[in-house]
Amino acid sequence: MELTDKNDPYEAALPPIDKYREMYNEAKSIRGISLWQDAWRRLRRDWVSMTALSFLVLLALAAIFTPLFPLQSPREQDLANRVALPPEFVSTTKVTNKAGEPEVAPVSLNLVDLKDKEFERRVGELWTTLNPFDQLLLNVRLAIFGDWCVPSLCGTDLLGRDLLSRLFYGARVSLIVGLVATLVSLLIGVSYGAIAGYAGGLVDDLMMRIVDIMYSVPFIFLVLFVITILSEDEVKKQLEGYGISRIVILYILIGAVYWLTMARVVRGQIISLKNEQFVDAARTIGASGFRIVFMHLVPNVLSIVIVYLTLTIPAVMLFEAFLSFLGLGVEPPDVSWGMLSEEGTRVITPVKIYWWLVVFPALALASTLYSLNFLGDGLRDALDPRMKNR
Amino acid sequence: MRWSIRGLFPYLFLLFFFVALFLALRMGSLPPAEFTFANGTEIQTVDPAKSSGVPEGRIIDSIFEGLYRKLPDPHDPEQMIPLPALATSHDLSEDLKTYTFHIRQGVQWTNGDPVTSYDWTFSWLRFLHPESRSQYAYQLWYVKNAKKYTTVELAEGDKVEIELADRPDEAQMFPRGTMISGILKKIDKFEEKLTGKFNGEDVEPVMLTWLVYTVDCVPEKEGKPDWDGPLTQRVFYVKGTPSQFLKDFPDAEAAMHVLYHFSQVGIRALDSKTLEIELESPTPYFLELASFYPMHPVNRTCVEQYGYPNWTKPENIVTVGPYEIKERRIRDRIRLEKSPTYWDADNVHLKTIDALAVQSDTTQLNMYMSGQLDWATTVPNSALDELRLLDVKKHKNPERKDERDDLLMAPMLSTYFYRVNTTRPPLDNPKVRRALSLAINKQEIVDHVTRGGQIPAGSLVPPGVVGYDGPDAEVYNPEKAKELLAEAGFPDGKGMRPIEILYNTNEGHRSIAEVIQQQWKKTLHIEVKLRNVEWGVYLTMQRELDYDVCRAGWIGDYPDPNTFLDMFVSGGENNETGWSNKAYDKLIEEASTEPDPQKRFSILKDSEEILVEEMPILPVYFYVSVNMVRPYIKNFYPNLQDLHPMHVLEIDEALREDIRKWEDLE
Amino acid sequence: MIKFLLKRMLWMVLTMWVVFTISFFLMWTVSPEGALLSERQLPEAIKQNLERYYHLDQPLTYRYFIVLWEYLHLNPGPSMKLIDKSILEILREGLPISISLGVLGLSFALILGFASGIISALRRQTVIDVTFRSIATLGIAIPNFVLAGFAIIIFVFQLKLFPAAGWGRPIDLVLPSLCLAAPFAAYISRLTRTGMLEVLGQDYIRTAYAKGLMPTTVVLKHAFRGAILPVVSYLGPATAGILTGSLVLERIFFIPGMGSHFIEAVLQKDHPVSLAIVMVYTFLLFTMNTLVDLSYGLIDPRVKLDK
Repeated sequence: MELTDKNDPYEAALPPIDKYREMYNEAKSIRGISLWQDAWRRLRRDWVSMTALSFLVLLALAAIFTPLFPLQSPREQDLANRVALPPEFVSTTKVTNKAGEPEVAPVSLNLVDLKDKEFERRVGELWTTLNPFDQLLLNVRLAIFGDWCVPSLCGTDLLGRDLLSRLFYGARVSLIVGLVATLVSLLIGVSYGAIAGYAGGLVDDLMMRIVDIMYSVPFIFLVLFVITILSEDEVKKQLEGYGISRIVILYILIGAVYWLTMARVVRGQIISLKNEQFVDAARTIGASGFRIVFMHLVPNVLSIVIVYLTLTIPAVMLFEAFLSFLGLGVEPPDVSWGMLSEEGTRVITPVKIYWWLVVFPALALASTLYSLNFLGDGLRDALDPRMKNR
Repeated sequence: MRWSIRGLFPYLFLLFFFVALFLALRMGSLPPAEFTFANGTEIQTVDPAKSSGVPEGRIIDSIFEGLYRKLPDPHDPEQMIPLPALATSHDLSEDLKTYTFHIRQGVQWTNGDPVTSYDWTFSWLRFLHPESRSQYAYQLWYVKNAKKYTTVELAEGDKVEIELADRPDEAQMFPRGTMISGILKKIDKFEEKLTGKFNGEDVEPVMLTWLVYTVDCVPEKEGKPDWDGPLTQRVFYVKGTPSQFLKDFPDAEAAMHVLYHFSQVGIRALDSKTLEIELESPTPYFLELASFYPMHPVNRTCVEQYGYPNWTKPENIVTVGPYEIKERRIRDRIRLEKSPTYWDADNVHLKTIDALAVQSDTTQLNMYMSGQLDWATTVPNSALDELRLLDVKKHKNPERKDERDDLLMAPMLSTYFYRVNTTRPPLDNPKVRRALSLAINKQEIVDHVTRGGQIPAGSLVPPGVVGYDGPDAEVYNPEKAKELLAEAGFPDGKGMRPIEILYNTNEGHRSIAEVIQQQWKKTLHIEVKLRNVEWGVYLTMQRELDYDVCRAGWIGDYPDPNTFLDMFVSGGENNETGWSNKAYDKLIEEASTEPDPQKRFSILKDSEEILVEEMPILPVYFYVSVNMVRPYIKNFYPNLQDLHPMHVLEIDEALREDIRKWEDLE
Repeated sequence: MIKFLLKRMLWMVLTMWVVFTISFFLMWTVSPEGALLSERQLPEAIKQNLERYYHLDQPLTYRYFIVLWEYLHLNPGPSMKLIDKSILEILREGLPISISLGVLGLSFALILGFASGIISALRRQTVIDVTFRSIATLGIAIPNFVLAGFAIIIFVFQLKLFPAAGWGRPIDLVLPSLCLAAPFAAYISRLTRTGMLEVLGQDYIRTAYAKGLMPTTVVLKHAFRGAILPVVSYLGPATAGILTGSLVLERIFFIPGMGSHFIEAVLQKDHPVSLAIVMVYTFLLFTMNTLVDLSYGLIDPRVKLDK
């Protein structure tokens, strides 16, 4: 900074209007580094976290755009020719050709030559119902690749379905369960913790005591209860009447179990923040308690929340796998990674191991959870204020 | 270091660790048994009157015994026939309706009581008594008036027995309260409407019926009712009847039960060693029933002394079979030990048996392969091909050429089928149902899903019943299926609503449902949804006809087509399809009174033809029993009902040592 | 401390009552028939008798008080499915097994977790550290039923070291306890590593080294004490996790513990049994959490119990 006149003793005490302008201009030229930019800078230097992050982004994209890829049908069975095949680079099946003779042909969708009704019927056979977005992606796929499919790189299952394709479609369900359930837990945990922390006093005491108690409630067992109940027909129909499917309840339930730690952490952060000046400032301009908590305080605890988020998603995905193990997870024709790995482990017998049926789902699950864990660690380091500018 | 709780911490931890280790090892006090097998799910009870399942059957058959017992036919060990057990022989009356059993002399219960015909009058009374809650009670309803006794269908003029409400212990059925006999004069019926609120919402009103009985009572002479004695009129009400209904009956007495008089039921002890059974109609398979495990007698002293359920505890139970229960750990094992007092103890070879409650078929296979099991009762489908190969490989070894296969498969008297809800359109149309049936490629399911050599089914009754040939039914015909569906008004599946397949949670059922879903979709172009529910829910939904198509299986209780066909009479307890056909009902009725076996079979065949024509069920395949048994277990024969009495099994010690060596088992 | 315990007791009673009430009404309103479903239909008379035996003919609220009263006398009544057995017998047989499996699992988790965590911290950024951390993360990232499947193939059928299933002999315990321990060992290892790294940089450790103490003494006596804190606070949630884990492993390894009983009871709608087991688990969890809080205060004098 440059002072204009060093001789004038009053100059510094009562700066003229020009000097303000100058300072203003100067300030404008300096780009401040926000916490987020700083964290991003540090995260970028950590190759492990970056690998994890890129993997997750790719995975998410793959899950969203699954129908775009030239995969085989996740549903179509081929009992006669393709049951329990190990991974292969050329996929063939037997078909009857026009002369009525059996013939070996590559696996294909057999969609291109079909028209209108027949086309729709065949699509229904291959994918059940598709929403408009998926339909669009599918049309693009057909335009680019035609009937051609990727061979069964991960083998086929005991009903002759392509595992690779099932893994891709399973990713959609598994990731969504993880994400939605975690968001639910986030919503409950953050609001609960923030309100308790901000209110303080008796309310805080009571609310946190409730959390303490909830830690002692065997939620897993109650969740099992509720899920068996939800599988009951009447309840299901009633829910469907409200437009809620069983799986949505599943998300919400899992989320409702995992909010406790989040609430504790957020409360601690809020307590340390609530006497800061910016809160006082907000209060003086007449902001309501609600506004202060959710507009001013919560954004400031986002960093720690994000770290917890990356650690809750794995827990939730494992829980989904656990439910699948008990046969209470998603219902066919939906697939999830938990269900696929459960199917895989069940066919592990001492006489024959269909290794691809257990290795690939486990690999998919493990690499995702691995990445989330590493990303969580990296984010924690990156967002740690003590690490600032290091 | 200064003493402090903190310093103690690691030691406390160690203490914890050792306590846990001790607790864990306390379980291992049992020495290994001679023979170990997997019994499937945990048994519910060993009380014959209250059980209804295959695992229960295996245990009860080992510790109790009936009049007859199904054993391998000495001439053809793969056939099971009823052979004399606690009875040495029986006489059959001219009209084929009265069996007289002669009880074996000198047989004792484990507590020293002699086995007499009174054991059956007591046990079968207990079995039929409504308070017993026997699920299999209907199997004895072939006995004259037995059904009336269980279902308490009383009419005025009936002879009745009244049990006054003065039992020593009200929760126990035995010893009973004072018994009074009489002739029913009048029943007064009162209805009570119970309305209530739950959570602020009105609950559907419940109708309760209360009965007050006016009875002409007769005195007792020599322990038996004297029906010609002087009559005294008394009024009884069943305990619990609200007092508002008793205003008009100032002298009414409280009773536990008012039942049809048991002396009128066709179960009579002529003397201590002669038992006479009178049936409603000729029942050619009655000996099979008399050897069926729910009908095994129990010891009266034991039941009255300890009461239910304490009498079934290993330390209290009194039995009469080849084995005794030594120990029972829930969801772990039942330890059976040879009973020294069994009448044929000389021919019982295995001294100790462990029945493990292993459910998972993969775990069973694991334990079998590592030598922890001698007999696995189920085998995972996915491993069947490999297991067959193992057997083939085994036989290539010259030393093991003549060894029996480990994997034993045999046709079984059991059918896997889908029930169709015939009350829901469009499934009420027989053409639609037949189309559905013909569109299922059963061969594909049998070859690639179940893989056990099951037989594709076109009708209900499995092959194997001697002398009975079912109708020639078409098994699979996609073209005809399409035609039939078109005839029914749904060409190419157009206009057909989505059909839902209901099944209970199980991997095998799911695979089959998934395959059928795709087959229907491909052939008939109809939408099919799958719905999997837990066992209990599945049963309720099936019972309440709350389904479209629903998976089912039926194991014949005795080798006769009737056990399958009488299910589907109108309103039958196990019909559960809403299907009803007058001609069918008439044929089944006719068959039940037909004394000539050949004619009977031909009547039953006619009825099955109606069933195949109407298709209230979609047959899928006939089961195959699959067992893995170590070849050193002698006398194990595959058979139709998958029955394997354990007291005839024997271990070839030399072969056992050899196999352990060859297969490198622990 | 007495006051703290008394207060906790009060909370425990309250918690258990709430859990009891919620579970009770939840299960009975949704499936009022409970396990009274059977393969073959029951004649009406038999059904009525069954209902009377289980008090099902009474209104729900009335039944609630009956059952509550029974629980206060520690007598939860008969099971609806295993009709020979009272719930108390089921618990008496299942609980010791599950507790021993849980404690063994936890012990393995602590031993493995501490050992690998300390070594990782001391050999930071070496091959050993990276290997240990990768294995630890693997433990967290794979469902334990998959882990158990792999373990059976490797240890039972390839190496023939352990039996495939069962419970009772010492050798039966190893595989299930290890599979149960895996995810928690992984987590504890991470916590220990972080804690150790933090402590190792502090002055008093440097002082200890400077005094010329043996490195093992320094690590085990001084540093480890400081690193143990986060692990102790993790023991509460870990207990909950171990209970869940044992559900799966008891099924796979055919162990007749509480987990198997619970799953079966829930699936078969044996409400009395599932209710009793939920209550036992609530009690266990609460006790464990209280113990953790207590030991937290004992290990770290800075923590005061009665806040």
